[in-house]
Amino acid sequence: MKHKPRLPQGLLTTGSITLTVLVLFATLPGYASIYTVILLAAIFMYIVLTLSWSIFSGPTGYISLASAAFLGTGIYTSAIFGKMLPLPVVVGIGGLASFCLALLAGALTLRLKGIYFSMFTFGLVELIKHLMLWFEINLTGTRGRFVIVVDHITVYYVMLVLLALTILTAYAIRRSKFGLALQSIGEQEEAAAHTGVNVTLVKVSAFAISAFFVGATGAIMATRWTYIDPYIAFNYLFSFMPVLMAIFGGMGQLYGPIMGATVFAYLEEILITRFPYFYMLFFGIILIVSVLYLPNGLAGLIQGWQKRVWGARYVHP
Amino acid sequence: MEDKKRLTRRDFLKVAAVGTAGLAGACSQIPVTGKDKEKIVVGMSRPLSGPLAVIGDSAFRPIYETWVPEVNAEGGIYVEEYGRKLPIELIVYDDKSDVGTMTRLTEKLIVEDKVDFLWPASGTSFVFAQAPIANKYGYVLITAEGGATSIKDMLPSLPFVFVTLSFSDWYQLPVLAELLGEKGAKTAYIVYIADLHGIEYSGVAGIEFPKQGIDIIGVKSVPPDIKDLSQIIKEAKASNADVFCCFAYPDQVMPATGTSMELGFNPKAWVGGPCVNFGFYHTTFGPAAEGVLGFTSFSPKQSAAAKTLADKLYTGKPEEAQDWWGHPLYWAGLEIWKQAIEKAGTLDQAKIRDIIATEKFQTVLGETWFDNGLLAKECHTGEIGQWQNGVYEVVGPKNMATADTVYPKPEWPTGGG
Repeated sequence: MKHKPRLPQGLLTTGSITLTVLVLFATLPGYASIYTVILLAAIFMYIVLTLSWSIFSGPTGYISLASAAFLGTGIYTSAIFGKMLPLPVVVGIGGLASFCLALLAGALTLRLKGIYFSMFTFGLVELIKHLMLWFEINLTGTRGRFVIVVDHITVYYVMLVLLALTILTAYAIRRSKFGLALQSIGEQEEAAAHTGVNVTLVKVSAFAISAFFVGATGAIMATRWTYIDPYIAFNYLFSFMPVLMAIFGGMGQLYGPIMGATVFAYLEEILITRFPYFYMLFFGIILIVSVLYLPNGLAGLIQGWQKRVWGARYVHP
Repeated sequence: MEDKKRLTRRDFLKVAAVGTAGLAGACSQIPVTGKDKEKIVVGMSRPLSGPLAVIGDSAFRPIYETWVPEVNAEGGIYVEEYGRKLPIELIVYDDKSDVGTMTRLTEKLIVEDKVDFLWPASGTSFVFAQAPIANKYGYVLITAEGGATSIKDMLPSLPFVFVTLSFSDWYQLPVLAELLGEKGAKTAYIVYIADLHGIEYSGVAGIEFPKQGIDIIGVKSVPPDIKDLSQIIKEAKASNADVFCCFAYPDQVMPATGTSMELGFNPKAWVGGPCVNFGFYHTTFGPAAEGVLGFTSFSPKQSAAAKTLADKLYTGKPEEAQDWWGHPLYWAGLEIWKQAIEKAGTLDQAKIRDIIATEKFQTVLGETWFDNGLLAKECHTGEIGQWQNGVYEVVGPKNMATADTVYPKPEWPTGGG
């Protein structure tokens, strides 16, 4: 009795707030400065990277360092097809190429566990980087490529759409049986298999879905980079950043990685522009402090605060 | 159950809403600096952290950190439009050695900070990425670290971009080939790093060496992260080539030198890429550096101006910090920039661009000008250097040389290492 009238109200709130946020972001280029738009697109990029990483690695506990490989695949798609095909197609191809790469890599290696899987995924970044290098030098005779330039506003909207899709997908997966299967794999893989979960299929498909968004992001963001080569496209920075951001934000909740990526990216922007000579120092201190005092990330901090205010029973574990 | 679900969603949305509003607020409140004509504001995105920091910190950074205080000590740059001298103020951002961050910060400097001028990012691929942006906004960009044959093809479409650094066919390798040809070198073995730099240098050597009667009897590419060069050095030794070239970076040239010593590989000429020209090459190998050839662009023995610059940059500093190739060219680039502003009498980029593109300037190199966006090769005060008695002498071209090329080079010292 108590719950029934509240549920629609909750949905209504969800709907209206989502709509407000969406309208706010959708109309932002109309009134914000052009650099706000540029910066937000970059922050969206980090959110998508972090959230897609946490779609797979969050529940399963498989720490993937392959983000840079998927991002780079998208970047190269953009560099190769950008001049021939319309932008949405290029972004789609970027996503699909990463999706296929993740399917292949996942099918081959998701039997590996723990640190072995992490090492393989990191090796994947190097492997593809050197494959591209070899390909470019020996077959196309070039090394770097210019990427077609797309205006800021278009990049911003494409990133906004990708962000919305990633959040929706992450939300849907968390709420589905599929998400539950992922969770059970993380808790005890053998038990999950015994209860009838096709663990390989679930892992590989989650890995590939998360790679899709990263690839699509690479394809659109490459247009902001003007010039790319294998070193630029497959920069291992993009393998570690999502992991750090997700840990910083906390992986227990959907909003954890989103907050982690947003705060981290914005903080970084402030540090590299206002305190460039101390960026690394401040960054290191912040990381150490958050690992020591925020073991559950920002999300954990917020939950602790909720517990104090509303009591433990309202807090989702 | 439902209680929990409802609250979770609501909490999530609250946080999302607060976060978004906060973010949007914070972003839109970044102050936009207006045109303050008390000073000339110059913006730069530099690799202060990340893998390129080591290059940026030793190449262009010591130049601008010496040059700007010197100009400001005199009151700055005279701009007729304002009837007074304006000091230079630098805004430096850290791009973390990431191109995506560099392009974003470059646009921030232009569209948000509205800097008066843009100074260059570090590295050839960074120059490739930054040049079209500077050009799009009509900002003059005189580059520092970075230059490549392939940028020559781009320059006609980038009228605002000027490249100061010398490179393979501008005009290092033709000079090297001529020097070695004259000394009677007949064969060469080339190792190059599998990237833009290596490909270009080995490609240009493939054209220039045969012109001087030097046959290339072996070419080998190595990946940038190679650690053990002994197989390649053995192969080079077996080829018995007169000339050994290692067109790569310090991470490869340093071990290649060490391995050559270890394996007793003593070609008549040992040529190394960007590495040999730095002071740290000499401090690392000491007397073993004797006779090694590399790239250069000046020597304090050439002129009073060159000596003054070398004293200014290197006196009282460790020898490691010396760079005989890039430093004078970057310095000359800044001198040209200052003189062009003074001649234009305004901070109007287009007017300054036209002056840089068409006029000649007096710099540390002597009379200096740009030739289709490249620092004219006639202005270079050296291309090829050689370590002789612990000094990095200019040996080519001959009309600039401070010493004759030692050929064959002395054998590596044995025993004491």
